[in-house]
Amino acid sequence: MKKNIFKIAMTWFALVIMTGCADYLNEPKPTTSVDEGLIYSSREAAEAHLAGITRLSRAVYNSVSSANLSTIYCARSLKGNDFISIPGNAWYRSDYDYTDLFENGIRSWFTWVFMYDVIQQINVFINGVTNSETISSLDKTQLLGQARTWRAYCYFELSLEFNLTYQKDPEALAPPIYLEVTAEGKPMSTLNQIYNEVIIPDLQFAVDNLDETRLVKSFINVHVAEGLLARVYQVTGNWPLAEEMAHRAYGGVVNNALAASSYIDGFDDFTNTEWIWGMQNTTDQTASWYISPSTISDHVNGYYKSLFVNANFVNQFSATDVRNTFFEVNNVTDYRQYATTKFTFDFESDMVLMRTAEMILIEAEAMFRNNKAADAHNLLFALQYNRDPSAVKSSNTGDALMEEILLERRKELYLEFGVEWYDAKRLQRGITRDAKHSIIVNLVPNDPRFVVYVPLEELNSNPNIDESVNQRWQ
Amino acid sequence: MNRKFTRLLTLLMVFAAHIVVAQQITITGRVTDDTGSALPGVSILIKGTNDGTHSDAEGRYVVSTRVGAELVFSFIGMKTVERVISANSNVLNISLETDATFLNEVLIVAYGDQEKKAIVGSVASLDSKTLEKQQITNVGQALQGTVPGVLVANSGGQPGSNPVIRIRGIASANASASPLIVVDGVPYNGSLNNISAEQIETMNVLKDASSTALYGSRGSNGVIIITTKRGKFNATPTITLSSTMGVSSPAVPLHKRVGTEDLFAYNWEALRNTDMYVNGNSAVNAGYNAANNIVSTFGYNPYNVPNPIFENGEMNPSRQLLWETDWEDLILRDQSVRQEHSLSVGGGSEKTKYFFSGNLLKQQGNVKTSELDRISTRLNVTSQITNWLELGMNNSLSLTESVAPNQDGSGYFGSTQNIYQMSPIYPVHRRDEQGNLILDSEGNPIYDFGIGSGLVNAVRPILAGDNIIGAFENYKSQTKTTNITTNAYLNVKFLKDFSFRTSFAYENFLTNGYNYASPEYGYAAANGGSIAQSRNIFTTVNFFNKLTYDKTFGSHSVTADAIFETYQGKNDTFSASANGFLPGVVVIGGRTNLTNIGGGIDEERLLSYLGRLSYNYGEKYFLEGSFRRDGSSRFAEDVRWGNFFSIGGSWIMSEEGFLNSIDQLSFLKLKTSYGELGNNRLGSYFPYLQLFETGWNEGGLSGVLVGATTDPKLLWEKTASFNVGAEFGLFNNRISGLIEYYNKESIDLIFSKPVSPSTGDRSVTTNIGALRNYGLEVTLNANVLKRDKFNWDAGVNLSFDRNEFTELSQKEIISGANKYTIGSSIYDFFIQEWAGVDPADGYGMWYMDVTDSNGNPTGERTTTKNYSDADRYYVGSALPKMIGGLNTNITYGNFDFNMLFSFSVGSKLYDWDYANLMSSVNVGENFHPDIAKRWQQPGDVTDVPILATQLPIPNANGTFTNRNVSFSSQSTRFLFDNNWLRLRAVTVGYTLPNTIAQKFYMKNLRVFLRGDNLLTFSSLKGGDPEQGIAGQSGLRSSILRTGSLGVNIQF
Repeated sequence: MKKNIFKIAMTWFALVIMTGCADYLNEPKPTTSVDEGLIYSSREAAEAHLAGITRLSRAVYNSVSSANLSTIYCARSLKGNDFISIPGNAWYRSDYDYTDLFENGIRSWFTWVFMYDVIQQINVFINGVTNSETISSLDKTQLLGQARTWRAYCYFELSLEFNLTYQKDPEALAPPIYLEVTAEGKPMSTLNQIYNEVIIPDLQFAVDNLDETRLVKSFINVHVAEGLLARVYQVTGNWPLAEEMAHRAYGGVVNNALAASSYIDGFDDFTNTEWIWGMQNTTDQTASWYISPSTISDHVNGYYKSLFVNANFVNQFSATDVRNTFFEVNNVTDYRQYATTKFTFDFESDMVLMRTAEMILIEAEAMFRNNKAADAHNLLFALQYNRDPSAVKSSNTGDALMEEILLERRKELYLEFGVEWYDAKRLQRGITRDAKHSIIVNLVPNDPRFVVYVPLEELNSNPNIDESVNQRWQ
Repeated sequence: MNRKFTRLLTLLMVFAAHIVVAQQITITGRVTDDTGSALPGVSILIKGTNDGTHSDAEGRYVVSTRVGAELVFSFIGMKTVERVISANSNVLNISLETDATFLNEVLIVAYGDQEKKAIVGSVASLDSKTLEKQQITNVGQALQGTVPGVLVANSGGQPGSNPVIRIRGIASANASASPLIVVDGVPYNGSLNNISAEQIETMNVLKDASSTALYGSRGSNGVIIITTKRGKFNATPTITLSSTMGVSSPAVPLHKRVGTEDLFAYNWEALRNTDMYVNGNSAVNAGYNAANNIVSTFGYNPYNVPNPIFENGEMNPSRQLLWETDWEDLILRDQSVRQEHSLSVGGGSEKTKYFFSGNLLKQQGNVKTSELDRISTRLNVTSQITNWLELGMNNSLSLTESVAPNQDGSGYFGSTQNIYQMSPIYPVHRRDEQGNLILDSEGNPIYDFGIGSGLVNAVRPILAGDNIIGAFENYKSQTKTTNITTNAYLNVKFLKDFSFRTSFAYENFLTNGYNYASPEYGYAAANGGSIAQSRNIFTTVNFFNKLTYDKTFGSHSVTADAIFETYQGKNDTFSASANGFLPGVVVIGGRTNLTNIGGGIDEERLLSYLGRLSYNYGEKYFLEGSFRRDGSSRFAEDVRWGNFFSIGGSWIMSEEGFLNSIDQLSFLKLKTSYGELGNNRLGSYFPYLQLFETGWNEGGLSGVLVGATTDPKLLWEKTASFNVGAEFGLFNNRISGLIEYYNKESIDLIFSKPVSPSTGDRSVTTNIGALRNYGLEVTLNANVLKRDKFNWDAGVNLSFDRNEFTELSQKEIISGANKYTIGSSIYDFFIQEWAGVDPADGYGMWYMDVTDSNGNPTGERTTTKNYSDADRYYVGSALPKMIGGLNTNITYGNFDFNMLFSFSVGSKLYDWDYANLMSSVNVGENFHPDIAKRWQQPGDVTDVPILATQLPIPNANGTFTNRNVSFSSQSTRFLFDNNWLRLRAVTVGYTLPNTIAQKFYMKNLRVFLRGDNLLTFSSLKGGDPEQGIAGQSGLRSSILRTGSLGVNIQF
């Protein structure tokens, strides 16, 4: 009996040891992720990565004022004279009062980290698609055209945020350039390199290779690339090409490109024909409270209600102007008097990134700079008349006409991408706030406060960038 | 209950029989030790039966039997005595002798048990007696102050929350540094709070390589082995009923805050100063502006006048306060209730032993709605089928339901955040512009969410969009867990010296999360309310087979084990969220829209071969070696196998002839061990793969994003661990103690190496760096006094642990308030150093290095008013220099009294909570009363700077930039010495004399009063000194102070 037990036990022991091995440790596999081979095996699979990147751009990164693309734009909108934040610790207050510019602030950290996260995704994508052996070369150029537009877009926004404008000093230090995936932190580049070696070649490639088709309006097509290139040339001062690209981006026919009645629909639907590019939010894919500016600007449905409109800005609009979305929210005469209904807050509100009206106004400005003032004036009035049937063409010429175009940009594009700040920065003007404000901060041309510092985390971890990069602004 | 009835009946019959049957005899007597002191708790059994009794606190006993029977008196640590009962043995006093071989006590160790004296490693044991002395909601807390070398860091007052446990320092920087938990021989993946302390027989802490090497790639952080209670063969069933009921409140009060009037005065001053300095306005004009703007800056006005404060800073005399919200009072309970009840039955026949327990716990936290309810049951059965075959099964089922409002950290519903941040000027209920309550259609007040419309009393700049009091009512957040463990084993003895054990264990840990937000009020109202649910099932399957050879040849004894083990842990997750609910619909099925669905399955496996060889000569010299080979699915196929080993020895010197002459020395043992262990526990299941994560969908398109960059060769950390120690007993073991020294070096740390965020990654997890932990542990226990009815035992244990980096991926790594450099500890504070307030202008100052022309520090320091220029310095560690515990037990007659203190010396605490209360940046938030000492005019000498929201800050080149004031930013201004002593537990009990208890058919009855955390002495100015392991306060509620009354009855 005992001998038998011994035999049974020994056999059992030997059996379990032998059966265990082999594949036991290989069986567990990841279930919620897939590997690179699959993603770059076909155009459709690669487009899943572009879809992910698009989704990332409207994700929720950090807080209400540092969540996604819409929050970078909203911060800029609050840096001018036309809009006012309530005092106290409201969202975006520290952008409004210019105290969140520094290396330890959230604006610096968020804009930097967010943009470079997208750039890394793009570079992985470009590398994967380029090396794919199963995607056709035509599909490759179309995929790469979209990806390179995204990359140019990110570097353009970085250059706007962490530098004075290109024309102030093209050789000024600018954020580092990564065109491929690496673990090594790179040194600062120059604006010249960013614009002429990355942004413009990337966008030109896209303009040359993309067409109008796209899977969804949050994706990039040729008009998005043209529109971005128009913006870029507007900053670098290449007015002939700015004019051409803007013209192509909106299609060249003002009345086809505009639908005035849609202006009052709440700027919450990216299928709007005036939108060239926008981000959607759906019930099951929403940035929820992190959709700016409506989360702070909508005093009817919105949440934080911390944004008011400067009465002096309101007074620039005629009563019949479709863009006059202002109403008296409080019966006072200080900054708390007016709010706007331009943006409706909802979890499904879409976010605007580019519209035809902006392109029309870039073309008008470029025409003016290209010594075609009369054409510029006509184009401007075409827009004005579309927006306000009782509009009367001005008699402005020269600088006054230029100022009228710039004012029209503010009136048309307010709260979309910080037009007032963008124009003041690229044209090397200052920003002057009037007495309506809850805090008065005035910026001189090329004021260092137009610039956000490189974040501390980068300085701490990148041996090629030190704090002198920020000391330029002191 | 049937058994109990039978037992009562038997007892009755025994009494009845006593009267009529001549051979029956009742024996009374007293049991003492060799010094004559009473020995309570001595087992007195009638030989060959399960009948018997125990001696009471005075050592007295009463037992009935027949003439000719034998009584067996036994007690741990004493030699057993047997007496035959004769007809005249009515009184039988017994004196028991100390058993020199009391060290034959058996301890549960890795994959088996060992006699205590044979242990060559470092094993500390906590038995049920120690556990019974505290009211433990989470058994991890029982280790604080009771086991040297174990750091237990509590944080927050949510009942049952898991404390951070570190054994012998911190052996890992980024992978888990927590010990492995093993319950009844099986790695445990549930929550520690699923285990009821009352069901635990011992908790053993394995600290060195020799004791943990058999856990191989999971052993380097130490191991806690929990063994649950078992019955005994040949024992009458013991039914134990115990019940405690008590009330709890915070152990330490929160920081104080100022009232409404002070808030107006201080904020007026801050606004005025800002206007003067930033806008250059005169004091008079700035005062005027401040008075005008203060209400709109607050957003609210709790007074009945529109201008509660004048331009000169005086309060308006005609003001009347309409409300002053006491958020603390509204958020915290006055008293929270704790109840614990349990019923257990243990015993056994000749062949089978069993233990059953059911335990019910209900503990409320001090934040309203906070609660933990737990039911845990356990049944352990062992059966000796034949003399060579033993079968056993351990089963447990534990259900918890907890409501855990945020008590640890920030968030809209952070209870401490709301108390600290929301000042009394903000009302609970909505007010109109005149300050009148706004009522709903039924005349009830409406919670104020701070997102109304209007000039005043509408938009709140703090935590807008929510209201924590409303949240208590309109939201619900709860977690339910179900933990089922079952472990079946078979033990076969064969061929004389061999035995074989096979064990199969299964654990199913189910976590159900439920979050509801009302469709009518609060953050989800815009979307018709929301429900988010999650369901995670974590299953563990552990299978092991052990072959043991055990042989003694003369003075040589050898034990050899060969073990084969597989382990599989699988996490199956599912979550869903939806919105659009009708009022009153509280289940997710009632949704209008589905907003998210998630889920996935992660799995980990381990395949292991183990061996252990122990040898001893003459029970004097012991040698032991262990080996384990592990293959882990967490690492790439070509690197996943690793070998771990240990070797150790001990020498019981007191057994040697040359020490016999020293009478005072009753026991002396020296031991040492060395070994190499691993740590494979990191957050990711496939940390070596860079993958594309699914779920980033864009509209109808599937979307993926590439995950973080990984190291494909990633491997476990390795820890080389050395231990040396001495155990001793003096004066017949009346004094006993243990001194141990250890040195652990962890290399190839699983380390998040920081990379530049511009690369798109913030860190890459790789094997780099090394950490050393070393320290000394001292334990001393003494029987201080022993008189007739009086016994006093006392013990102290001390740990001195040190931690330092010995290798790093780069020269230095800044991680929050800490900096890692070679030679520094993982929790060394590296922060700006506060240089006080400039009496001339009230600006706060910090130190900065003076640099030479090359930019190198000269060693001298100067002060700066620009926080960005301040340099950071090492200013102390969050890790204590010494931790320990004191315990004392006194029995006098039937009374018992014990106290347990734990303490910590030499650490620093960074108090962010206090810093925020001292900040004037955010108008409308609370202030600490210390703000009264602020700088007000040139010449004021104080440590509290000028009040302002922004100030012009000087740059290095002499220009000024307006910045938010940084006076409350991270600096030594808020770093405090943190030495504390806590009366962890105190109990006073009374045990009914046996003679009386037996009249009520009870074996034993004890009533007790118990207090936990009754006293806290700390060097801090406020707040709980226990703030987690990193030594930084973070909006936590205090741990609980509990007073209870309890009763324990045995039948």
